[in-house]
Amino acid sequence: MSDYTIIGKRMPRVDSRAKVMGKAKFTADLKLPGMLVGKIKRSPYAHAKILNINTSKAMALPGVKAVVTGKDTEGIKWGVFAYTRDQEFIQTQKVRYIGDEVAGVAAVDEETAIKALDLIEVTYEELPAVFDPMAAMASQTELIHEDFPDNINIHVNIDTGHVDENFKKAHYIREDTFVASEESYFQAEPYAIAARFDHEDCLEVWMPNGGPHMKAKPLSNAFKIPLHKVKVRKIAIGGAFGGRSEICPVDYICALLAKKTKQPVKIEFTREENTIATRQGHSMITTHKTGVDKDGRVLARETTCYMDGGAYSSTGPIATSVPFLSMEQAYRMGSVRYNGYRIYTNKPIRGMIRTHGRGFACGLDTQLDMIAENLGIDPVEIRLKNSRQSGEYTSTKSYVDSCAMDETILKAVEKSGFKEKWGKLPPFHGIGIGTNSVQTGFPMGIRGGSQSFIKFNEDGEATVMSGVVDNGQGNDNMLVQIAAEELGLLPEDIHLVSADTETTSSDPGSYSQVSTFVGGQAVKNAAANCREKLFKVASKILKVAPETLAAANRMIFVKNDPEKSIPIRKVVRISLLNFTSVNAEGGYWPRVDMKREWVSNPYGQMCEAFSFGTTIVEVKVDPDTGQVEVMEVTAAQDVGYALNPLVLEGQFEGSIAMGGQGGMLTEYHEWKDGRCINTTMLDYKLPLACDMPPKINNIIVESIDPKGPYGAKEAGMSIAMSAAQGYSSAVSNAIGVYMDSFPLTPDKILAAIKEKKQ
Amino acid sequence: MATNISFLLNGDKISYEIKDHWTLLHLLREEMGLIGTKEGCGNGECGACTVIVDKLAINSCLYLAIDADEKIIETIEGLASTDGTLHPLQQSFVDNGGIQCGFCSPGMIMSSKALLDENPKAGHEEIKHALAGNICRCTGYVQILDSVEAARDKGGQNE
Repeated sequence: MSDYTIIGKRMPRVDSRAKVMGKAKFTADLKLPGMLVGKIKRSPYAHAKILNINTSKAMALPGVKAVVTGKDTEGIKWGVFAYTRDQEFIQTQKVRYIGDEVAGVAAVDEETAIKALDLIEVTYEELPAVFDPMAAMASQTELIHEDFPDNINIHVNIDTGHVDENFKKAHYIREDTFVASEESYFQAEPYAIAARFDHEDCLEVWMPNGGPHMKAKPLSNAFKIPLHKVKVRKIAIGGAFGGRSEICPVDYICALLAKKTKQPVKIEFTREENTIATRQGHSMITTHKTGVDKDGRVLARETTCYMDGGAYSSTGPIATSVPFLSMEQAYRMGSVRYNGYRIYTNKPIRGMIRTHGRGFACGLDTQLDMIAENLGIDPVEIRLKNSRQSGEYTSTKSYVDSCAMDETILKAVEKSGFKEKWGKLPPFHGIGIGTNSVQTGFPMGIRGGSQSFIKFNEDGEATVMSGVVDNGQGNDNMLVQIAAEELGLLPEDIHLVSADTETTSSDPGSYSQVSTFVGGQAVKNAAANCREKLFKVASKILKVAPETLAAANRMIFVKNDPEKSIPIRKVVRISLLNFTSVNAEGGYWPRVDMKREWVSNPYGQMCEAFSFGTTIVEVKVDPDTGQVEVMEVTAAQDVGYALNPLVLEGQFEGSIAMGGQGGMLTEYHEWKDGRCINTTMLDYKLPLACDMPPKINNIIVESIDPKGPYGAKEAGMSIAMSAAQGYSSAVSNAIGVYMDSFPLTPDKILAAIKEKKQ
Repeated sequence: MATNISFLLNGDKISYEIKDHWTLLHLLREEMGLIGTKEGCGNGECGACTVIVDKLAINSCLYLAIDADEKIIETIEGLASTDGTLHPLQQSFVDNGGIQCGFCSPGMIMSSKALLDENPKAGHEEIKHALAGNICRCTGYVQILDSVEAARDKGGQNE
């Protein structure tokens, strides 16, 4: 792969200079002429009927420019799918969680807006609320949504057949239940949105987003204006982690306030609002029943999972499926039956998160460790016996092309010294392993593909247009690197126009780990088309066939005779003077099964490639305090191909922090009567610099996917999940108790140690 | 209540009429338009609003603007040279991947600067301690610590 000049190099990111100078503009940094401050009035009750809303006093307050309530929304409901449209942008009938939107205000300044919120009088009739998914299913009180019996929002059923007969053939069967609390994103940047209607009645909006086109479509629907009139603009984004993909009520409310006042409006969330009124991760109760043969090969598995979905559907069908899909990709399961239930409760709305299904995956891996112990084999052996192999189909019929799962296991095992340490460490000192797999994209229907345009300027530099959004993970740099490589330019010669719905074509967004695989590929194809045009012109000048040419360092040259060359700038100028276009487009559409549907038909090709990863963790547990000291973490991931190892390592380490250090040791939400009581960063206990393990080993494994750009797949999520599994496995190993409740906080660890002693 | 305060901001003498309840963060961001300093929580938890006051890294969201009177204040905007040359710490964050989403970066760099200004030979543990008040959700801190150590090793010089 040494043929590349820019791809594969440790290239500092193109966006980092503006960021270190404090010049990168985030939504809260925007100031538009005449801009008003918007605020949201939220429900203080977890479940209540709205009897009346009186806004007259708020409207009369000097400085208040507009107040909007559910009456202004024309009853529009939001849901990702036609069958999950259950959320009004502003509630008209009842509120379903503490924080539900009941009104919005726009005023000249923040103080006035906050005062106005207090002057909005809402009369409620409180209803019985349910906060536990199992209680919600059995509840005899008023349903949270009347169309959903037993408060069951989504039921996903997957069944490969032959499950019961294969259990009969099993040498050993276990059934265990695992629970995990809800977690949160805690993006560094609190959510914010600015909106205005411009002189042509176009809606112009800025907000952190996981895909500008995913935000534009529902806004176009809600305001009944064509898509070209919704301009979601590019803005720096302070993290997403899955939590900023769909439209949310505040997007609509802010735009509605802008429409009503005919002025720009900006709403900045407080940290508490960012925690309760965007999305959270689901809490889950998962039962895995697994039957294996005498060698530890899984013959049959039955998994049932109950997810606390909170008040509305959000990405419900996807969220109910993905924890299972990641595991069916990572492991061969023989025959399998999965029943996933997403249950409504009167708690904040749950969505997709980078560590989605931490309890599900940790449970499955913990149970594998239990089975291995029963059979007298080690955790590595049982994983290698069941690990996904290239050329296979998953249980739900996705073909797996590139797969280096075993290589990630073996390399991590070697680097960490697992074989030398496992079973031989002193008391309260343990080592554990976790493996996982992640999709590069979900079937996204009409928005599943990405298209890019490239225009050459007469000075030989290029402007690249792409709908891909950068949430902080480095997508902008990825696109520039690819374009520069393909066009034979230097990264500084590329100007990127991205994540703006006015100037870029449809794109699936950074949601579902798809950006490199689909969006990067689209840019690669566009650049290759552009290069072909330049080569045609250059071939005439150099008097050689176009196929003999190559481009690098701003030059087009003959591959076998590099002295014979011409600057790209010159080729561009000659083309333009000869009436020849130097611009090009290119696109990429992953060949997924368009008939696959999350609930009605969960079978068929999910996406074109899957990443695979292994994390091995070594810990010491203090038996007196239950504190876990992480000594070393070794993360290996099959990323397909490393486009930029510097960026990849940052993804690995960030994944270990979020999935392992935070996700398995400290991060969870606490509640009192439906009210989240740890909404801030320190109460929630995010990992700090001083909490991180002293030693992290990153191992990049490259399987060179035949369809990915240069063979690349994804790198942002798989390690976050396998780190969670590795951490939980290591702690269980250290204390000699298989833990079944996550995260593994000191109180749970101490209780387990105490119980074991008795 | 309004009060007139004077302070040195990134080397420039500033005189400003402020309201007594303003925080320094409000003064910098909302009044003076210095948006490089970020607000991540407003509670002194995340460190995104870190600036240097009289050589000490502080959370500007908890610091009243009125207390800035007669003080020397440094913000992220004052680090690079006027010709665009980055401060060695900024350059090191770029080169070592210390930047992902970039929201915590200005605060992270200001905390690092306060430390290295005070102790140019700060060790790994001291750096970790100095950055314990700056939360990053993206990087896992490894490349941030690498960035600070690399800047320290170059002794305040770019390359």
